[in-house]
Amino acid sequence: MTAKKSTTRRDFLKLSLTGAGGLAVLGLASQIDRANAEAADNSKHSWAMVIDQAKCNGCGNCILACRASNDVNPDITWNKLYHQDSIAGKEVYLSVPCQHCEHAPCVSVCPVKASYYREDGIVMMDYDRCIGCRYCQVACPYGARSFNWETFDGPNPAVPEWGEPDVERRSRGVAEKCTFCVQRIDRGLSMGLTPGVDEAATPACVNACPQDARLFGDLNDPESPVSKALAASPHYRLKDELGTGTRVYYLPADRAQES
Amino acid sequence: MLATLKPRLNSPYSLWLTGLLALMATGAVAGLVVFARGLVVTNLSDYVPWGLWITIDITSIALSAGAFALCAGAYLMGLKQLRPLARTAAFVGLTGYTMAMLCLLLDIGRPDRFWHGFVFWNVHSVLWEVTMCVGLYFSVLMMENASTVAELPWLKQRFPALAAKMHHLHHYTPALAVAGLGFSLLHQSSLGATYGVLASRPIWFRPGLAVLFIVSAVIGGVAMTLLVSMLTKRLRPETAVDDSLISNVSRALGWMLIGYLYLRFWDLFAMTYTYTPGRSEGLHLLTKGPLAFNFWVGEMLVGVVLPIAILLVARWRSNPNLRMAALASVVVGLIAYRWDTNLLGQLIITSPFTGAEELRLATYFPSLVEWLTAGGVIAFGLLILTLGIRYLRVVDHDHESCRV
Repeated sequence: MTAKKSTTRRDFLKLSLTGAGGLAVLGLASQIDRANAEAADNSKHSWAMVIDQAKCNGCGNCILACRASNDVNPDITWNKLYHQDSIAGKEVYLSVPCQHCEHAPCVSVCPVKASYYREDGIVMMDYDRCIGCRYCQVACPYGARSFNWETFDGPNPAVPEWGEPDVERRSRGVAEKCTFCVQRIDRGLSMGLTPGVDEAATPACVNACPQDARLFGDLNDPESPVSKALAASPHYRLKDELGTGTRVYYLPADRAQES
Repeated sequence: MLATLKPRLNSPYSLWLTGLLALMATGAVAGLVVFARGLVVTNLSDYVPWGLWITIDITSIALSAGAFALCAGAYLMGLKQLRPLARTAAFVGLTGYTMAMLCLLLDIGRPDRFWHGFVFWNVHSVLWEVTMCVGLYFSVLMMENASTVAELPWLKQRFPALAAKMHHLHHYTPALAVAGLGFSLLHQSSLGATYGVLASRPIWFRPGLAVLFIVSAVIGGVAMTLLVSMLTKRLRPETAVDDSLISNVSRALGWMLIGYLYLRFWDLFAMTYTYTPGRSEGLHLLTKGPLAFNFWVGEMLVGVVLPIAILLVARWRSNPNLRMAALASVVVGLIAYRWDTNLLGQLIITSPFTGAEELRLATYFPSLVEWLTAGGVIAFGLLILTLGIRYLRVVDHDHESCRV
């Protein structure tokens, strides 16, 4: 082995280590950027939604309000509606937005950390980072994620009847899902409003429900609508046995008979 | 040089090349349609987001596993007689990974962001680990093949210094074999784990998938290498190919297939006797549903039982036609296994709530654009292999680097 060769090898190692380090720094820097972008006091809150199946009549207004507010492609639904059961002649519906899991399969599997947790528990998407591999879709137990198979251009049929868009449209080729109307929460908080109480700070689907079947609020605040509803009524979460720890709670339709 | 490149127009070779180029041209046009219009031109859906392209991706990676397995055997385990096969396998591997990456570029929604995985790390994601390992292993394969490419007379004449440097990389083969073994064990298994870690899909959710993927990949990858070597000998009889070496390795493959059958049997049998929502239905899709033909005939009969018989009975194995048929059927069985596995978990539409009374089934059949692009990618792989065999002599058991 000549001296020249070993130098080359050392240079090669140096170069590759520098490269790997550089990549890691880039990755880290982007995490810091994201943390700074969040409101400073997010960690104080723990957002949750409560959906009362005794009140929900399957009208679908929540879907339309969501489409308008989040400028969602009419082929995509962030807030899927299922017919779950018929109890004593009454139809029972199940409205399924993103469940904002505490241990979210989509966040674990995303190869580029495009799906991530906010400090207030909301599972967010970075649409500028998503590569469109669709692993999150395959991993989600709740079918909450939709993929932008084509560009959504042209007018949104839900606008203006059901509201005005207050977020940017997603590009073709990325996954998207319900965000608990994070833009309304953050803007509302900065205006000193209380999400779940003041409409301007509350998710569009909650405001649009004619049956008042949807509640929103902070689990850390015992006086929030969700905390009070959960304290007063039996409730369940979807596929709790998977250990996902969802943030959407359901009040069962037949609880009057149970209690 | 140009004289040898000029094919006679009516020869089978030029017809073969013309056919491949035509498939590639159609595939390229179809690929442009995909990039222009987006994935809406596929038959993929929110129920079945992973289809034909992913299957080709994981299949061509599996069929490339001969590279790491044979290089590890030849350069780490002291089985020096495997060296000629390792040289072929490394080239087959480079071709397979190139095909896989082409398919991935088509498949991801934002091909312009393919590099995000290398910059934005999610160490908890098996798919991130697969991305990193595939990327790193591809560079290992390029270095492993550098000395082969360095033999091109044109390169030697035109860029002698570069050719010499590339040739020199041959000295690092053992080190590259270590890296290749590590990266491959990781990502070949993780491709199975990609499905196996998903609690939302009960038919996939089991640790065995990682094991089945690596074992089937090694068997399929070695079979592919042997098949390429035998086909070369058949089509270019002047090629030096050590038939007794191929026969011996084929026999070992027969025994490995028995091991695979054993693992697969217990993997399936363990899911049989109790009802688990989603999982039992998935099993039925395989054993008596729409995938039953693929499973019983493609995976089991063609992919396992027939080749075990042919490769382990000395009289049958010594017949080159039968042996080639057996090796080809191993490859077919592997393709069927990857296709079935990928679809199984997606065809069952999981209900968002527990206790749904009926499970709905999704359907998926690739669209014309998917078939055409897939045909283009496969034709591209076959073209690279053909040119490699002809001009780089990747099948040559008398090659200087292979002498023990």
